[in-house]
Amino acid sequence: MGDDAEGGGLRLSTAFRRARGGGVSAAFHQVEIELLRSLVGQLLELVRDEPSSRDPRQAGDPLAAAFGLGDDPSRPTDPVVLRLFPDAYRDDSEAADEFRRFTERGLREAKAGAAAAVLASLAAAGPEPDEPADAGQEKIRLSLDPDEADAWLRTLTDLRLALGTRLGVEEGDDERWKTLPDDDPRSQVHDVYAWLGWVQETLVRALSAGLD
Amino acid sequence: MTTAPAEVERPEAEEVVVPDTPWATVVWNDPVNLMSYVTYVFQTYFGYARKKSEKLMLDVHEKGRAIVSSGTREAMERDVEAMHGYGLWATMQKAGD
Repeated sequence: MGDDAEGGGLRLSTAFRRARGGGVSAAFHQVEIELLRSLVGQLLELVRDEPSSRDPRQAGDPLAAAFGLGDDPSRPTDPVVLRLFPDAYRDDSEAADEFRRFTERGLREAKAGAAAAVLASLAAAGPEPDEPADAGQEKIRLSLDPDEADAWLRTLTDLRLALGTRLGVEEGDDERWKTLPDDDPRSQVHDVYAWLGWVQETLVRALSAGLD
Repeated sequence: MTTAPAEVERPEAEEVVVPDTPWATVVWNDPVNLMSYVTYVFQTYFGYARKKSEKLMLDVHEKGRAIVSSGTREAMERDVEAMHGYGLWATMQKAGD
């Protein structure tokens, strides 16, 4: 598991805090809002993408597929998709496929719904009330009710799973990322990944304070 | 599936009632999910107290996996699906496996 995220090099936002009325709130810079909008938009496309590309009649050995001998058509081959929709059985591929058939569509819709709710809350966010109008870098106040906060938690998780899987993040590999040269594109992606972790950590803490 | 041999006598109803085999939901360690988030999911989805949720989270983190719930196969399918909805890496198995 990931530990208390350090947040990478680009922390402009303030931590999420509990707000009156059971919600939470945080301030983001406009550039962070744009980054989130872009990432969540890509996630939305990913989870909405129906698994037609897995059809073995379009890829792989068509003869094997015709006799049902090809790779299982229902199992994703993209490691990111496989991480978002993992096998429910480790040693029973038949049961895992059946579980996938019954659950994947609903899970995709739920993940897409959460991502869409995050996009809606980003669109609804307005300027920080006490921020001077000519502050240059405009700060955006983001307030979430409990349902929106839940959508944020799930979507931040899915984003980090997608980025972390693409990057090949491993347990306790912080040094590896710190020693990458700055011009390595993976270094920037990892900064974003770590920043999302920091945002999520503050959100979880704010929400956890309301439990028990 | 297969059919029963025709000659075999049908057993009495009470003989074929097998107690519902218990199943278990297992959550596996992964390098991405935050420890605080995993604890939060156990608290909010299963309704476990903070202490129990933290203990399960630490088992996942340190031992690589933990059984987080058990019950009928249908109930475990619901739990595994819910865990996948939260982005946790969960599988199900027969209890005792």
